[in-house]
Amino acid sequence: MEGAEPRTFASVLRAQQSMVFSIAYHFLRDRPAAEEVAQDVFLQLHKRFDEFESDAHLSFWLRKVASNRCIDYVRKRKSQAAVALDDAPAPSVDGQPQDHFLNRRLQSLIASLPEKPRMVMILRYQEDMMPEEIASAMDMPVRTVKSHLQRSLAMLREKIDRSMGDVR
Amino acid sequence: MMDDFEKQLQAALGRKEPSPFFEARVLGAAKREARDRRASIRMWWASAVAAILIVAAGSAWQHQRSEQAREDAAGRDAKARLEVALRITSVKLQKISQKVEGI
Amino acid sequence: MKFAMPVLLGILPLAAQDIKMPANLDRLEAKASEVVNVQLDGALIQLASRFLSDKDPDEAHVKRLVGGLKGIYVKSFEFDERGQYSMSDVEELRAQLRAPLWARIVGASSKKKGENSEVYLKTEAGQITGLAIIVTDPKELTIVSIVGSIRPEDIRDLGGHMGIPKIDFETKKDKKDKEDDK
Repeated sequence: MEGAEPRTFASVLRAQQSMVFSIAYHFLRDRPAAEEVAQDVFLQLHKRFDEFESDAHLSFWLRKVASNRCIDYVRKRKSQAAVALDDAPAPSVDGQPQDHFLNRRLQSLIASLPEKPRMVMILRYQEDMMPEEIASAMDMPVRTVKSHLQRSLAMLREKIDRSMGDVR
Repeated sequence: MMDDFEKQLQAALGRKEPSPFFEARVLGAAKREARDRRASIRMWWASAVAAILIVAAGSAWQHQRSEQAREDAAGRDAKARLEVALRITSVKLQKISQKVEGI
Repeated sequence: MKFAMPVLLGILPLAAQDIKMPANLDRLEAKASEVVNVQLDGALIQLASRFLSDKDPDEAHVKRLVGGLKGIYVKSFEFDERGQYSMSDVEELRAQLRAPLWARIVGASSKKKGENSEVYLKTEAGQITGLAIIVTDPKELTIVSIVGSIRPEDIRDLGGHMGIPKIDFETKKDKKDKEDDK
């Protein structure tokens, strides 16, 4: 976006709403709650919109604040955002191509992780962030991020293997 | 390099769109908040003065208790005063910026 | 808007000349409907900083901003009626700000509204070491003095954080952008 039209709040909202909403949705597995969190993130952005000098800084900030707001939301509401594996609700069909059942299963498994490992996984595999970036966004040591990734992947593989057979 | 399982995770965590009205809701809420902030400037000053008086009164009370309690109260008081000073200064500089920008 | 720092060449560094709030301002308190009087020296600023959280991004930012300051002094009076103070009340202050190390970087006034706003910066060896603001209108007088290294835009941009209002305004360019976005 360098050299493009000067950014406005409305244009950033349009460009980034999917990213912010998706982080919240995959974390909370609750569409209305995800929209509530996403709106809160953008209202925070609106208050300090003039501070951002680069698109990269703005994107990083959005991911960081979205992560924090999701975790805060769960803690405040004291609600079980994570669901038991066997009770995973059927999400709405979004017209995903193949491996639709596997995708849903993986989404449920990720939603069953504890809060911080769950967000680490979302930032890694939804947003393609490197462990160092995730560490900075979530204010935790890089080694902790890597540990979360390693353990979560191992757990997910094992559970997928057990429930569905070898998918690798 | 990601293995097949990790690629499957990426596919599972694909981007989703919020509802069609999300954008309009956020823009509306942002405008309302901005309007509320403008309207509350005087109220902020009055409550800041009240907060300083309350904190100052609290400091006097704490002074009798203990050295630590006294210092804690003084610190909170100083923090409140700092916030008031920064608030007034920031608002004034924002308004001066407006005038210079020719709004 | 950028607050340009004036470049002063050939100025020998002098001993710190912190401005003093004129004593005559105190008598205005009796006439004012609202008064804010904040006096924080370096020690009090450090004490306040200890109560700013490192975990809260806004408070951590303010902590860094005020870390090197030696004093923050604010006097603000609001009056119900016009004519409760005169320009001579601030003349003693303006005289201090005519000292060599001080420079007025912004002056904005409206004769129609009777408003006047001035921003002064003190610089020594190319570094900002003081900031002063005088804002007058028919029913308000505000004076701010900050001793230490601070940029005006850093405080201005606190708007929207820590409960500090952000004065929302649209430049002509923003208005045009909004029209273009429709």
